[in-house]
Amino acid sequence: MNNASFHLNLLKQTEKLSSSPVRLRVILPLLAILACLGMAVWWGLIFTQSLVVRADISSTEEDVRAKSKEHAEIIGLMNDARELELQVEQLEYYRNGVRRSAEPLAQLAEVMPVRVQLTKLSMVAPVRQNLQPPGAKVPLFGPTENVETQKLVIAGKTTKETPVMAMMESLGMPEFEDLVTKEKNINSFKQDNAQERGGQRLLSFELEYTMPGRTFAK
Amino acid sequence: MKIQLTKDKAIDISIPGLGGGGKGKVSKADLVGVELFSDDEEGCPAVRLIRRKNAWHLAAFGYVKAPDGELPQRWEDTPKQPTWELPREFQSPVAAIAVNSDMGSFGQASADAIVQEMIHGTVHTDAPASSDSGKKRFGIKRAPGASAPKAADPQPQRTPGRVPEFPAAGVPVSENGRRFAVRPSAEEGFHFAVSLPEFQSLWLGRLLPEGRRPTAGSIQISNAALMASVLAQPEYIAAKGSVLAIFVRDSALFIAGYKDGMPVLWRRCPGDCGYNAMCTALKKTLGIERDLIESVLADSLIDPKPALEPFLHPIMEQLELARAYLASKHAMNIEKVLLMGLPAGAEHWQRCAEETLKLHIVAPAPFEGMTVDKGVEIKNPHRHLVALGAALAASEVES
Repeated sequence: MNNASFHLNLLKQTEKLSSSPVRLRVILPLLAILACLGMAVWWGLIFTQSLVVRADISSTEEDVRAKSKEHAEIIGLMNDARELELQVEQLEYYRNGVRRSAEPLAQLAEVMPVRVQLTKLSMVAPVRQNLQPPGAKVPLFGPTENVETQKLVIAGKTTKETPVMAMMESLGMPEFEDLVTKEKNINSFKQDNAQERGGQRLLSFELEYTMPGRTFAK
Repeated sequence: MKIQLTKDKAIDISIPGLGGGGKGKVSKADLVGVELFSDDEEGCPAVRLIRRKNAWHLAAFGYVKAPDGELPQRWEDTPKQPTWELPREFQSPVAAIAVNSDMGSFGQASADAIVQEMIHGTVHTDAPASSDSGKKRFGIKRAPGASAPKAADPQPQRTPGRVPEFPAAGVPVSENGRRFAVRPSAEEGFHFAVSLPEFQSLWLGRLLPEGRRPTAGSIQISNAALMASVLAQPEYIAAKGSVLAIFVRDSALFIAGYKDGMPVLWRRCPGDCGYNAMCTALKKTLGIERDLIESVLADSLIDPKPALEPFLHPIMEQLELARAYLASKHAMNIEKVLLMGLPAGAEHWQRCAEETLKLHIVAPAPFEGMTVDKGVEIKNPHRHLVALGAALAASEVES
């Protein structure tokens, strides 16, 4: 049941008035005007801000243009410095790779037995590395492998085996660590065909020691 | 606010609360009903109803001072526009005004008849009809004036020119200096229509100023509002809106039929059948003064039956006709009739109806079924039926 079926209302919708003391027909236009003003201020702020940003951008661009030459110079110098640093670093590698064998060789004379006569003391040159690979415009600053190994060949004559063994034992001492390693090879130990004065027969020998590796690193 | 964009395109902008063009929404929860220009000497009967938790509460009851001036009787009187303020207890957001106007009309008619009235600017009033007297319809010989809803004139005298459109239900339209509003009846093809001169409608619409509580939300004809006064009655709700009711006013008596919550019949009893006529009959027969009549009707020592029977007999005939009409036309079996607006003597009506028609008359209190708020004192409730009906109809709630 709907009461509306009985509502024969002669008052038109347009005649209905608001009972609220806050009259919407006054308040609404005011609110609309205030909203418009607020929007205008808002857009004004945004426009001003965009102008400021644009001015900043142009000044920054000019600044960048002015400093670009100096910047290129600085970049060039930085590249040069970097290149030199690399070269220095490479030289450091070489310095670290220097074989310090002078002192052990000086001590070798002191520990050499009397009955041993050295005929040869040589360091076999390592296989040369290719520092200019095919297609490269400039040679490499250093070897491609960091570690280089060399052999020390000691050859001589002796009267008997014992002095050679004593020499080998002496080379095993810590003072000769920079010169040779424990790894060694007896290439020959034989009767020498040439006779010494007095008819005494001599023994010739050739030892090959592996020297400590040269490391090209910091 | 209507903005015409092109010749055939227009947009309608509606802002609630705005006077100009906005479809102001009637508050359904809190409203005051006022009857204007009633015969009551105490003022304008007014009630304030508040709907809480799906039930009506009577928040204020009484009389309010009538507005200055009188209801205008011609266009020239409308510039004398008073403003009206109600007492604080009646200051709800919305007021439903029911007006007693000699120039207003309320009745039941076909669509064609209503359009003809709109064309000619004439009205059918609640005055007893004298047409089709003695005709036999629905198997009943009809007494003068006991006609069915008014049908269209078979040979209407149409005014040449524009024919007004039949108004949509509940939408007031102005035509030929009058304002019309219609609602469909439960009987197919018939409508209930009210009309009031345009200048009176404008005057009433401006009576309550904007920005102050209450403002007018509804202007109704008093008889239309009277018909709605039963809507909150428990008997009406129990019968699911299918009842027959008698409304007694000082100068007239009306019989109203309701079917499934919709109005189906509204008739004014022919002759002088109001409460004043009943008092006159008692006065003449028993020789008592008007002041004593209510006590005589309530007092069992004096039997008013000899004085009342001649008065009640034609009313019972009309009641029987209405009952027969509802039974034959709408298959409604009426066994109970609501008697509204009778200040005293309801038991004599009940006895008479039982004896003559085997019909049970119930005379409920006008505000039965409503919760009366604390501090609200009810005096002469029968005189507030129109105000109550105006508020209930304007609430447009579903019960």
